Amino acid sequence: MIISYLKTALRGLTKNKFYSFLNIIGLTVGLAAFILILIYVRTEASYDQYHEKHDRIHRLESNFTISGKNDQFGIVPIPMAPTLKTEFPEIESFVRFSDAGNQLLRYENKESYEKDFFFADSTIFAVFSHPMILGNPKTALVEPNTVVLTESKAKKYFEDENPLGKILLDAENNQFKVTGVIEDLPANSHLKFDGLFSATTLAARMGEERFNTTEPVSFWNIGVYAYVLLKENTSIDAIHNKFPSFYDKYMKSIGDQINSSFTLMSTPLADTHFEGNYSADEPKGNKMYLYIFSAVGLFILIIAAINYMNMATARSVKRAKEVGIRKVAGAHRKQLINQFLSESVILTAVGLVIAFLVVYLLFPSFQTLIGKELEYSALFNIGLWLEVIGTALIIGLMAGSYPAFYLSSFNPSKVLKGTMSGKAGGSGRLRKLLVVIQFWIAIMMIIGTLVISNQLSFLRNKDLGFQKENMIVMELQDSTFRSRGETFKKELLSHPNIVNATTATGVPGQTGWIQVVRMEKETEMIDDAMIICIPDYDYLETYDIDVVKGRFFRKDMGTDATEAVVVNETTVKQYGWEEPIGKKIHWGFNPQGEGGRVLKVIGVIEDYHYNSLHNKVQPLMMFIHDDISKGLITVKTNGRNNASTLSFIEEKWHEMGAKRPFEYQFLDQSLDEMYETEQKTGVIFHIATVITVLIALIGLLGLSSFIAEQKTKEIGIRKVVGASVPNILVLLYKEFAMLILIGFALAAPLTWWGLDNWLQNNFVYAIDISWPAFAIAGIASVVIGLLSISYHTVRAANGNMVDAVKWE
Amino acid sequence: MIQTNKLTKVFRTDEVETTALNEVSFGVDEGEFVAVMGPSGCGKSTLLNLLGLLDNPTTGEYYFMEEKVSNLREKQRAKKRKSNIGFVFQNFNLIDELTVFENVELPLIYLGIKGSERKKRVDDVLEQMGMLHRRKHYPLQLSGGQQQRTAVARAIVARPKLILADEPTGNLDSAHGEEVMNLLDQLNQNGTTIVMVTHSPSDAEYARRTINLFDGQIVTENIKQAL
Ligand SMILES: Nc1ncnc2c1ncn2[C@@H]1O[C@H](COP(=O)(O)OP(=O)(O)OP(=O)(O)O)[C@@H](O)[C@H]1O
Ligand SMILES: [Mg+2]
Repeated sequence: MIISYLKTALRGLTKNKFYSFLNIIGLTVGLAAFILILIYVRTEASYDQYHEKHDRIHRLESNFTISGKNDQFGIVPIPMAPTLKTEFPEIESFVRFSDAGNQLLRYENKESYEKDFFFADSTIFAVFSHPMILGNPKTALVEPNTVVLTESKAKKYFEDENPLGKILLDAENNQFKVTGVIEDLPANSHLKFDGLFSATTLAARMGEERFNTTEPVSFWNIGVYAYVLLKENTSIDAIHNKFPSFYDKYMKSIGDQINSSFTLMSTPLADTHFEGNYSADEPKGNKMYLYIFSAVGLFILIIAAINYMNMATARSVKRAKEVGIRKVAGAHRKQLINQFLSESVILTAVGLVIAFLVVYLLFPSFQTLIGKELEYSALFNIGLWLEVIGTALIIGLMAGSYPAFYLSSFNPSKVLKGTMSGKAGGSGRLRKLLVVIQFWIAIMMIIGTLVISNQLSFLRNKDLGFQKENMIVMELQDSTFRSRGETFKKELLSHPNIVNATTATGVPGQTGWIQVVRMEKETEMIDDAMIICIPDYDYLETYDIDVVKGRFFRKDMGTDATEAVVVNETTVKQYGWEEPIGKKIHWGFNPQGEGGRVLKVIGVIEDYHYNSLHNKVQPLMMFIHDDISKGLITVKTNGRNNASTLSFIEEKWHEMGAKRPFEYQFLDQSLDEMYETEQKTGVIFHIATVITVLIALIGLLGLSSFIAEQKTKEIGIRKVVGASVPNILVLLYKEFAMLILIGFALAAPLTWWGLDNWLQNNFVYAIDISWPAFAIAGIASVVIGLLSISYHTVRAANGNMVDAVKWE
Repeated sequence: MIQTNKLTKVFRTDEVETTALNEVSFGVDEGEFVAVMGPSGCGKSTLLNLLGLLDNPTTGEYYFMEEKVSNLREKQRAKKRKSNIGFVFQNFNLIDELTVFENVELPLIYLGIKGSERKKRVDDVLEQMGMLHRRKHYPLQLSGGQQQRTAVARAIVARPKLILADEPTGNLDSAHGEEVMNLLDQLNQNGTTIVMVTHSPSDAEYARRTINLFDGQIVTENIKQAL
């Protein structure tokens, strides 16, 4: 029986090559896009779940309230985790990670910077599941000065040699013995690392005593990521409940002294990728994008399925006769349903196979696109395939069900007599509804793409209040080099292409120093957090930031070096200063509120965007401080001949005795990188939109060919009674245009609402959604839609009416 | 009203060449009722297509209302057609998706006649055809006779000078057929010229003159004696 279904189905499909071709293309593209999006969504949704004990692992977080100001951090004080373990029996184990920063590692003549190395406790392998390829997980990180590498890093330094026991050197010639090699971390790890130094290394450097101290003051310095592994059948709540007494025992004494408090927070490991918005944390996933992309994947699939339904029902009229004959020949309704369903399932299966090939070929570019390194094994995941095949089956059955039930219900006597002819009124209405749904979706995506790209170009082109072009930023990493910053600067200025140079603690995009200071407000001084940047006298001029009131620092004003402060406009607004000049700010006081500097405001600068446009400009202050070392130097060039300017800078860099290789960044590029997520989202959305529109157009093309065929008679009759070719064209186009416009009317308000939400929630500085995007999307979809039906429509309108209106 | 001179139509399909009409010359005066008869495939419908300006002859000339129309382009033919010629088909050729009223209204729409005027004229002919009570029905809800009366209504609503009918009773039982023939006769009495293809001798009785076609050529012409 099944064989006979398959045979007939295949025959039907090969007979109507054009339609089968359109259907398969639509399904293939739809399924391929769906599979890729599914892989992305699965990766996002499965973060850290590969750790066997993940449901018992919790990450600890800090909630500090210092002088009334609340801050939450993804890291906790160094002694927190071990002390919790000694106090609370629920904790089976813990592991801490301390960021090793940018490390220059060397083996023989191979050296390179490693940004993703951490110091970690030796317990890591008992808590997390990182399969060890070489070495003993129990002992690997016990000794000081040992290191465990990921497989790819081990390859990079040691190639074919056995890395175990080999020595890696850092920039200060510290030696690290390789004691283990683990598998590379999967893409779905929220804390990514390429290698681990033993935490005992830090202990050895700081002194065992100091590292392991549980002195109250050590709890008031934050510093490490910490994870606790709970015993079976225990709850993290128990620890939170008992924490107040822990606080009293270890932290209260200092807390009371500095008028501060602390509460412990935690997040289940698997939720860490999405939950919480903490300072000093790894980059987070965005659930919103997850939802958006899931929806987009589904949309694409729906559109492809609709194509099938549309074409199949349209074809139904032609097949009515086949059904009639089959019924007369004794076929039961059930058999007919099976027949049609197996046809659509076959088509979907063919689409699925091709889709898999497409996915396989596109996999590398897909990874670049989403900015995640996935493994090919992600493609062969059984779970994924169960979901994909399940969905494809549902799509196949759903798409086939309407034609199946509709066709099989034909009354054979009517069909054969020909009175069924072109009527099929019900299916006509359904078809229209389906086309409306397709365009609804497609237009939503077109508008979305336009608004997203508007917002992105807004971010890229917004006047940030400072010059970002032709600015080269370098980090002066080691202290000796930093102490020579001023000389380095003078040397650089001798080059004709270098217009200006300035050192500072912060540059736009990297102005992260926040500290509590005392601000004059009305008649009292209040404690508040301020963003601080220690600049050089020529910072303002180099960056071209405007002074709104007063002046910037001047070398010839002796007191500027110790007593002056410059604030931004937000500060003035926030503290309600009518006359900002002369207002006092007390910085650098000790826990007793003494010492430091009392600074007077000498100038107000405009609210330049010292950080990404994700964040609102906050109160910021600048003051001169010669004893604070300024780790960043900005060089402003005239933009001519950058290559030679750069090689000049590099030369000077080495002359200054910098210990590390020359590294620099163009400011505009590093600023752009802050919007990488949005950029990527934009690109993905763009591609998804093109795919959606394409599939919808393929559908229209197929549909228009059916409709033209189905309407041949009507067109002929209309022409006989006097319609001209333009009359007919208007008639046919109007019908489709109406459907597209209804789709537009449904899409517009929903999209407006959705995009407005997205802009409000993700950006402090966002464009206003404006009608041109909507107008463009509406007009474009009508135009492209009508173009895609033109071929068949024009042909039908010009068709021979004598053939259409057979006399007999 | 109609004059043809050696009207010839040749169909070429792949390698087969069919001469459907072979040098047909004849005329129809205004107000005449002419029947065209002949065996199946002899070229009757082809002749009607040419007379109705639905198609151009391969060779020969065709004068319609004293004007040579045998080589007009479709656009010009359409213009002449819509204001002067009405068609009635054997299979009615109504548009299933439109109501009786809308079907009948079509020619007036394409003539650019205003809505209120259209309504009046459609209602008038529907009344004349006894179809007014069915104006909101769809063709498939009607009997064959009612469908054909709707088709006749559509053919005459634009007040054409010529009506071309191709076996108008071919799909009808004799009672309904007679009904339609009486309608055509009535129209002819009122001055409309009619050319009708038929297989039925009794239908041909209504005509004043019968042309017999055989193999694309006119073989005989019988003129019914005025009683
Ligand atoms: N479009 C066409 N292409 C090819 N041949 C055609 C075409 N239309 C008609 N013919 C041929 O021309 C000849 C005349 O056809 P026509 O339809 O005029 O006959 P008819 O007299 O109307 O027959 P019937 O009584 O069966 O309606 C036939 O042989 C037919 O096969
Ligand atoms: Mg015929």
